Amino acid sequence: MQSKVRLIAVAWVAGLALAGCYGKDGGLQLHQPGKYVGANDPLLEIAGTPEFEQRLERRFNMVQTDR
Amino acid sequence: MAKMKFLCDAERCIECNACVTACKNENEVPWGINRRRVVTLNDGEPGERSISVACMHCTDAPCSAVCPVDCFYTTADGVVLHDKDQCIGCGYCFYACPFGAPQYPQETAFGVRGKMDKCTFCAGGPEADNSAAEYTKYGANRLAQGKLPLCAEMCSTKALIAGDGDLVADLYRQRILRRGGRPQTWGWEKAYGAA
Repeated sequence: MQSKVRLIAVAWVAGLALAGCYGKDGGLQLHQPGKYVGANDPLLEIAGTPEFEQRLERRFNMVQTDR
Repeated sequence: MAKMKFLCDAERCIECNACVTACKNENEVPWGINRRRVVTLNDGEPGERSISVACMHCTDAPCSAVCPVDCFYTTADGVVLHDKDQCIGCGYCFYACPFGAPQYPQETAFGVRGKMDKCTFCAGGPEADNSAAEYTKYGANRLAQGKLPLCAEMCSTKALIAGDGDLVADLYRQRILRRGGRPQTWGWEKAYGAA
């Protein structure tokens, strides 16, 4: 009787432990070669726009030109 | 479209290290890391030259090509940035970079490498522009404020130039015409594939 209870307890614990393997996604990240997977940079939305480039060009002419 | 580039005019660099200091001050760069360094060639000999070196933001960045976790990205204007939350500090980018730009903070007494740190062209990283989180991880985001990297803006002899590659090339060409001689665009061929 005691060994039967022990067997059931072991089976229950083993079942619980194995079920844990199929729980929610543990944050596994799949990588594609050369594809950026990090967070989005808000600068990417403005970089390359005409206004952005004009501002930098004005700045360049203001501070980088020869003295 | 503008492509951001650095150019160091070796004829003008006086090895004052103001660019190094400006970078460290503006970006609160941690101890042991120099995003920018001044290298002197033929030190003490006739014809010695100094050049200021940092990440050149290569057109086809080798650091990005070898990164096993793909933490690098390039903005539309050619600035190569990376995500420190993705970086695992493996050091591959350090070996791939021809300019020795990637640096790693030593975080323990046993030489364990931390997250890679490098010049961001004063463009921060993948956090909200000019936020405290961005400043702590990557330093200042001057580009979002319409400014250029402080190392170049601070250069007293205007040896270090940073900005749109076309404007930089025009400025340098005018200098060469005035000065005579041959252009020495150090690092440009390697970084941007053009002499």
